[in-house]
Amino acid sequence: MNVITEHAQTTVPAVANKPLDTAQLEPKIAIRHLNFYYGDARALKDISLTLYKNTVTAFIGPSGCGKSTLLRVLNRMYDLYPNQHSEGEVIFDGDNILAPKQDLNLLRARIGMVFQKPTPFPMSIFENIAFGVRLYEKLPNSELEYRVEHALRRAALWDEVKDKLKANGLSLSGGQQQRLCIARTVAVKPEVILFDEPCSALDPISTAKIEELIDELKADYTIIIVTHNMQQAARVSDFTAFMYLGQLVESGSTQKIFTSPGDQRTQDYITGRFG
Amino acid sequence: MTDIALQDGPEIAALPARARVLRRLRLGDATFYALTQAAAIAVLALLGGVIIALLLGAMPALSKFGFDFVTTERWNPVTEVFGAIAPIYGTIVTSIIAMLIAVPIGLMIALFLTELCPIPLRRPIGITIELLAGIPSIIYGIWGLFVFAPFLQQYVQPALINTLGGLPGLSVLFAGPPYGIGVLTAALILAIMVLPFITSISRDVFEAVPPFLKEAAFGLGCTTWEVFRNVVVPYTRVGVIGGVMLALGRALGETMAVTFVIGNAHRISSSLLAPGTTISATIANEFTEAVGDIYTSALIALGLILFVITFIVLAAARYMLLRIERRIG
Amino acid sequence: MVQTVKTTATTARTPLYAGRRRRNAMMIVLAWFAALFGMAWLALILGALLWEGLSGVSLRAFTEMTPPPGSGGGLLNPIVGSLILTGLGVAIGTPIGILAGTYMAEYGRYNKLTSVVRFINDILLSAPSIVVGLFVYEILVRPMGHFSGIAGAVALAIIVIPVVVRTTEDMLLLVPNTLREAAAALGLPRAYVVHRIAYGAARAGIVTGILLAIARISGETAPLLFTALNNQFWSTNLNAPMASLPAVIFQFALSPYNDWQRLAWTGALLITLAVLALSIIARALSSSDKN
Repeated sequence: MNVITEHAQTTVPAVANKPLDTAQLEPKIAIRHLNFYYGDARALKDISLTLYKNTVTAFIGPSGCGKSTLLRVLNRMYDLYPNQHSEGEVIFDGDNILAPKQDLNLLRARIGMVFQKPTPFPMSIFENIAFGVRLYEKLPNSELEYRVEHALRRAALWDEVKDKLKANGLSLSGGQQQRLCIARTVAVKPEVILFDEPCSALDPISTAKIEELIDELKADYTIIIVTHNMQQAARVSDFTAFMYLGQLVESGSTQKIFTSPGDQRTQDYITGRFG
Repeated sequence: MTDIALQDGPEIAALPARARVLRRLRLGDATFYALTQAAAIAVLALLGGVIIALLLGAMPALSKFGFDFVTTERWNPVTEVFGAIAPIYGTIVTSIIAMLIAVPIGLMIALFLTELCPIPLRRPIGITIELLAGIPSIIYGIWGLFVFAPFLQQYVQPALINTLGGLPGLSVLFAGPPYGIGVLTAALILAIMVLPFITSISRDVFEAVPPFLKEAAFGLGCTTWEVFRNVVVPYTRVGVIGGVMLALGRALGETMAVTFVIGNAHRISSSLLAPGTTISATIANEFTEAVGDIYTSALIALGLILFVITFIVLAAARYMLLRIERRIG
Repeated sequence: MVQTVKTTATTARTPLYAGRRRRNAMMIVLAWFAALFGMAWLALILGALLWEGLSGVSLRAFTEMTPPPGSGGGLLNPIVGSLILTGLGVAIGTPIGILAGTYMAEYGRYNKLTSVVRFINDILLSAPSIVVGLFVYEILVRPMGHFSGIAGAVALAIIVIPVVVRTTEDMLLLVPNTLREAAAALGLPRAYVVHRIAYGAARAGIVTGILLAIARISGETAPLLFTALNNQFWSTNLNAPMASLPAVIFQFALSPYNDWQRLAWTGALLITLAVLALSIIARALSSSDKN
């Protein structure tokens, strides 16, 4: 396992994944000229970016650069709050998800999200997962149990919780709670999973487990992860987008961004000179 | 990671089925939204309904007596002539005396609870004060009638008459025989009733003072009293005033604690020991026995006046409490 | 440096400093005295209640009807009447209160409507309860032509609503937004999120609010006086006047008859014990929830 040092490093982190040929990949989400506003303040400036199926894309950049905002546009989470709006297009399987007539519940069922802090619901471990499944499908109990087990296995949590499925989700450790949230997301069968700094509240061992998990999940899902930890981006992602002050400075294969960035600001951030 | 035994290919759910489920749920969602919004509007409608119902009910009396209703003292059910100044006066005087007594004591108790009380005692005493606030007002009334008023009549009022009654200026306030019941007794019961309100609100407000402010003052060598007087009170002034006005609103509208002990006399006496009446006591005592539309209407008009007075006081109180909430954030 | 230390040492002994200390000591004594004074009233009132009321607490009090003047009897009909009126008042008021509180915290949190409702609700929370009685008299008793239990229940419900609205909103606002976001991120519709997540997380707080509302109305007298009125006899007919403990206490305490006055004390003791028990349960519930 990698030793994780959170603090200023001067060397460029080692990139784990080989660069992929985008011509061979299927675009899943295409962001085109996206602007986002908090009231009158423009938080995202003319962002265009393509996200490919069955890959991991990392959004990196200093605090306040807009990377989380961009992530929350992708499942329209900002709709929960007043005075926030977006302009431009985000094409998801041929549909503009920013269109007013977009069915938000359906969209969010297709684009799942895992948050910075683990957010188990105040109910049992089993219910935490069965809850979302039951909403969409009427399943016999045996089938439901199978689905819960399956989701927990996918989140590499099954062996740790199989004897205490009735226990409250809040009784688990932080890392287990986060994997429970991943299981919960997987159980609803999304196509894309958004991770919003999923490891920032976790210890190094739990972090390593989540990273392994992300690597496995990309076989079935399109994954986007926001992280302020550059080693993490280097370890898990195929593509990286560097953002600064609401702008997308540059994006490309993680290999390229980390070894030969095209922009001085990217270079400075990657080598730990700011951020 | 050897967990993935149940792998069964890409797990993309069938979209049309899902959309169907969601359409059905959306109907439920819309219904629930409409229900909650209707309930919220019902709260507004309640206030509007109260005002309209009282206005309509008060109309016959108000149109008959006009402005005289709030300026004359005469209250005669037999000749059907009604003037509300005596109950209005009684309401205001009892409440003001109650506040004069309860506010300083309540603030001192709040000071005690936030700064002086030994930590293990803070919670029990705080809870006791709050329980006192929860006791129904009719309990204060029956206690006032059977215990407190006789006690006042026998010991306190004769002493007041003998001492203060002889002083020029104060003699008018403490003249007449010791009835036991009367304006002063009602005011004292009200004071006991609002004391816990004032205490618990000011305690909450005092506790919201950032510790560093107090520490800074203690660091200058201020005594506990000086910190309270010069830091805590100025910082929380708006909130304390809001709390006091909230208590005033309660005192103005209080019915049962007052009805038992005020004596129900429709006149304005200069003496605090004499019987009097308040708006709520008049309504409680006379409403069910009121015969004739004008009599009933006059009582409802009294209720309207009470509602308007308390509305203004409570609105001001809420406004002030809102301001301090924003400041403390 | 030495000089400074010296000056400080001398100011400590100046009359000014001594005066400040005296003043402080005096105020501290006053604060202690005020606290004892405040507590003393609770002791005095509870003492009188126990002293006067306990002697009347017997099987008769719970099994016999209110007597005519000059003879013995019990409080069965007002006890049952109070239970019916309170139960019905809560049953009517709670759903409306919870729904309105839900709107304010979940759907309309940032709306103008919500801030207006919150302001009005806070005023209704401390509005004179006798005015509520007048209001219900105007809208129910007068059109129906007679006093009735249902009018009393509606009056109590109107007092329940603001209490429940306030606690429901407060408790739902305490539910972290991250939980709502997490539920929304699964594609769950808002009503589902509210029902399964927000209510679940706020349950203890909302129940506390309902208990406090019950405590509040179980002693309310003024709104019942000209709605449910009173009833000397056994009656569970909601369309007829109904007895209640507070109304019986009011009538009996102000009567010249010794038996009635004793029953008034007993009734007062019962109400107080019920209210204190409810408040203590509510408090225990809300503090156990915090842990």
